[in-house]
Amino acid sequence: MSKRILITDDALFMRVTLKNILVANGYEVVGEATNGQEAVEKYDAHQPDLVLMDITMPIMDGITATRTIKGKHPAANVVMCTAMGQKNMVIEAIQAGAKDFIVKPFQPDRVLDSIKKLIG
Amino acid sequence: MMKVEYINPFVEASFSVMEMVLGNRPIKGNLAMQPATFTSQQCNVVCGVTGQVQGQVIYGMSLQVADKIATTMLGQPIKVFDQLAASAIAELGNMISGNAMSKLSDAGFICDITPPTIIRGTNVKISTLSIPAIVIPITLEQGELSITVGLQGRK
Repeated sequence: MSKRILITDDALFMRVTLKNILVANGYEVVGEATNGQEAVEKYDAHQPDLVLMDITMPIMDGITATRTIKGKHPAANVVMCTAMGQKNMVIEAIQAGAKDFIVKPFQPDRVLDSIKKLIG
Repeated sequence: MMKVEYINPFVEASFSVMEMVLGNRPIKGNLAMQPATFTSQQCNVVCGVTGQVQGQVIYGMSLQVADKIATTMLGQPIKVFDQLAASAIAELGNMISGNAMSKLSDAGFICDITPPTIIRGTNVKISTLSIPAIVIPITLEQGELSITVGLQGRK
């Protein structure tokens, strides 16, 4: 059975890019969220194996969403996928519960390697 | 006078991001100063910067260059400049700005960016802030674009 992934990014281009990478490599995309609040709601609804999470988004940012998801689902696998790679942001994301931090732009293998390590 | 420490991160970030995303090495032209942060380009991505350094950065280009960049990023020719093409252009600005924030952070300026806004049309002049700006002209295989950096330290 395919591993199930939730994509969270306010940029349509990035959601399409990530979805193409995931589907081409045998993963199921169970949902797409355009902000952190949607990510929390869709996590509750779909209980995915992993979430790819942007940080800078309207309504609710990705770090707040990660903290919320991890508070409700401590075993959740969240991987940050963001253009913001400064040290303080990485530390904040890890403290919120993120298990990896990918800086955009990325090569597809960087995303796939991270996912494989966490959920196979 | 804008500090050079605010400009170099955007030059370095634009080179590394464009080379990776667009597949060719940009050529930087001569920097120019403007009394305020404005653009009269046809397609613009506007990113706000908040924190220890504040202001706006505008990535401006012609409609034709926007089409070519979107085509490269999407991996297929675009027939119309739709929401996906606009999102690709906006994401290019977002990635350059995000990478520049990391470099600013390394230099001791902790900042954040706001989600990018794309403004597209002919005969449009966008005046945003009264912050003096420096314009970085960039030449790519896809054509020319300009990065207008209007930043100042938080008062």
